[in-house]
Amino acid sequence: MKRVILVRSMWMAAILLGVSFVSFMLMRALPGDFVLAAAGAQMLQPEVLEAMRRDLGLNQPLIEQYLSWLGAVLKGDFGTSFVTHQPVLHELWPRFLVTLELALIAAFIALVMGVSTGLVSARLRGAADWIVRLYNGFILAVPNFVVGTLIVLLVGLYFPELAVLSYTPFLEDPLGNIAGMILPAFALALAISVTISENTRAAVLEVSNQDFVMVARAKGLLPRTILWNYLMRNALTPIITVTGLQVATLLGGSIVIETIFAIPGMGQYLFDSITSRDYPVIQAIVLVAAACVVFINTLADIAYATADARVEA
Amino acid sequence: MTASDPILSVRDLTARIVSRKQIVDAVKGVSFDIARGEAVGFVGESGCGKSVTARAIMRLAPEGTRVELGGSVHFDGQELLPMSEAAMRDVRGRRIAMVFQDPMTSLNPVITVGAQIDDILRRHTGLSGRAARARTVELLDQVGIPAPAQRADDYPHQFSGGMRQRVLIAIAISCDPDLLIADEPTTALDVTVQAQILRLLLRLREERGMSLMLITHDFGVVAGMVERVNVMYGGRIVEAASVDDIFRAPTHDYTRALLAAVPRLDRHGVAP
Amino acid sequence: MSDAAIFSLAGAEPAPRRRLRPTAGRLLLGLGLVMLTILVLITLLAPLVAPFDPSATSPQSLEGSSSQHWLGTDAIGRDVLSRIIVGGRTTLFITFTAVSLALLAGLVLGLLSGYVGGWVDEVIMRILDVIFAFPVFLLAIAVVAALGPTVPNLILTIAIVYTPAMSRVVRGPVLSVKKWDHVEAARSIGMSEWRIVTRHVLPMVVSPIVVATSLTLAQTIFTVTALSFLGLGPPPPDPNWGGMLADARQFMELAPLTVVGPAAAIVFATLTFIVLANGLREVLDVGSER
Repeated sequence: MKRVILVRSMWMAAILLGVSFVSFMLMRALPGDFVLAAAGAQMLQPEVLEAMRRDLGLNQPLIEQYLSWLGAVLKGDFGTSFVTHQPVLHELWPRFLVTLELALIAAFIALVMGVSTGLVSARLRGAADWIVRLYNGFILAVPNFVVGTLIVLLVGLYFPELAVLSYTPFLEDPLGNIAGMILPAFALALAISVTISENTRAAVLEVSNQDFVMVARAKGLLPRTILWNYLMRNALTPIITVTGLQVATLLGGSIVIETIFAIPGMGQYLFDSITSRDYPVIQAIVLVAAACVVFINTLADIAYATADARVEA
Repeated sequence: MTASDPILSVRDLTARIVSRKQIVDAVKGVSFDIARGEAVGFVGESGCGKSVTARAIMRLAPEGTRVELGGSVHFDGQELLPMSEAAMRDVRGRRIAMVFQDPMTSLNPVITVGAQIDDILRRHTGLSGRAARARTVELLDQVGIPAPAQRADDYPHQFSGGMRQRVLIAIAISCDPDLLIADEPTTALDVTVQAQILRLLLRLREERGMSLMLITHDFGVVAGMVERVNVMYGGRIVEAASVDDIFRAPTHDYTRALLAAVPRLDRHGVAP
Repeated sequence: MSDAAIFSLAGAEPAPRRRLRPTAGRLLLGLGLVMLTILVLITLLAPLVAPFDPSATSPQSLEGSSSQHWLGTDAIGRDVLSRIIVGGRTTLFITFTAVSLALLAGLVLGLLSGYVGGWVDEVIMRILDVIFAFPVFLLAIAVVAALGPTVPNLILTIAIVYTPAMSRVVRGPVLSVKKWDHVEAARSIGMSEWRIVTRHVLPMVVSPIVVATSLTLAQTIFTVTALSFLGLGPPPPDPNWGGMLADARQFMELAPLTVVGPAAAIVFATLTFIVLANGLREVLDVGSER
């Protein structure tokens, strides 16, 4: 058990190192000059550019640049924004929290929708199963930005007085904040709920065929006891793991959704930074997002291995 | 039909298994009685319909298949086949209990064995909390699990196959059923453990006076365990006789063939 | 001589025959093929099918549906239907080219990794693990942002982003296939590695790859249109679905069709490949009951 955690954590560290290198190289591989981008639209003297190049450490060998950048990142220093000239971390943190909130609400919605439809599909079978599977197949074909746009369109057309589409900071009005998050989170959750639904269905079907379910029925237990203590308790591990693995999709999707719904999170920040070519910010967001994915995947891995040990041993 | 007061009386039982792929007539008109306190063996090769007969009595169909039942199953004054599912749930586990073939897969891996005895007690006996817990430990002790108070909090994977089958037997006898159906209870176990489990079943049956329906493919198992034997083949009972008669003078060719497959009866038989 | 030996050896243990199920799988596959035909025909014949020049503006802007403009006109009076029909070209061209590249790269890396094994496998898989760690869409955005949004860059980006998944799909079956008896047998009688791979290993991994490719096509349409939606798609004035959807948002309450049209096109194209993938999965019996 401890060994599993140790091995996975070391593995996570290795992947994170690779991820940081890719993030670093991504912005160094830019066509044109990094310094010109840093200088923005201003026309600068060659001497000034040279000075900037020295300040940014661009004259050193690539590997040294990487190491000093990595060292700074580990201390929480993601550099300075080209646009606002503020430390990136300072600007990123509040936006990260907003995206985290959006992702958590979306994950919750997806879990509720996915598990319930998957359960219906697996338990009722027959027509209900087919309806759920057709619905899932169709929903999978509707990208989240289409869902988001259509939601905005429908609300605009039929409920123009509804204020649910405006973002309110959490500290100002917590309830208003959450109310404003629900529709964007729903748009984000829809595609993930399909994956969760399909996996719930598969997991529950697999557990249903296990001998211990037959034993539970032979004990005369009530259907709800069998459902929760026998079916769900066993199907839960794969379901939770799959939900964890969807974090990558959530983070990717939040870029478009935040843009559509004007939510000042990490996704919108990334979009703005791309427009203004604010490379340190792009680099930081890519790194943070990938690190989140790696971290959560590792947690899911460990959770799965732990549960597996209990079942298989 | 020697029994004067049968607890279970099955007449012309048929079972047709309807799955997506095919329709199988697994039981084609089976009739037998089991008296109170009597032990009856059902012997036949796999696929002869003996397990389906047992499940038909319990009205348990495997997930995803439909089993159409016909005939009558009369149990202690009640007709089971037309009963509602809710009423049937009160019979299962309390009046008729079942022990299955594979102890490795028959326990829920994610809850403790104690909790798996606890839930049937709560369901049928109204015991709960400390009383249920005490009964659980007592049951584990009765089936021969050492240190039952500690073991109740262990998960199934911490038990060996033989110990798991003991737990499953504890679950089966927890509500003092009138009839225990044991479907190949020792097939998945080592030979030495097999004998222990059979001895345990025999002892519990004698202590509690419950009826036993013992299903097996192995004539060696029924010797010393039951009074009468029904030999099944192709969904029908082809021979029914007392255990002594069947070993001494089998009448049906199939029975002879099955008996011939048991090399040395005296070695396999279980001394009580 | 050795050919005959191989033939009988392979025949001795035939691959599990694929039974054509007359059920939902074939129905889905048929539906998917019909949808694909419609999609491909409209795309190839776009200039003939489109009723108007997609870039021609007119004073009738943001009109609703009419007998002339079935899906109305956009903010500068261009015919929405024509733009959808022509817009599919760019989107599907990028999609097909990128997925072909990813498939090719995935085949090479997956075969190499799974078949050669050892340190080659380790190195390839670990590098792909790192790429895999990035959310697909985020990585696509970052790469396109770095390289600049042109059609070749989009193709390259998407190929890079989907290569790890493709390689894994190839590697899995290769790992199990190479342990099979007839592959062992072929090797023991000195058949060349290249011929073993092409004659024995490759055919076995076709089914999962076909299914995965179809699903990747669906995902790629999503990624391409999402990038265009964010303004990182192919540059104007060529119409593309994601860009149209984004442009239409500004006036969408006035002309809902300008949103619904491209949205429907995106959903139709994605659905085509999802239906196809599910049909193929059932018919080819990949991953059975899922």
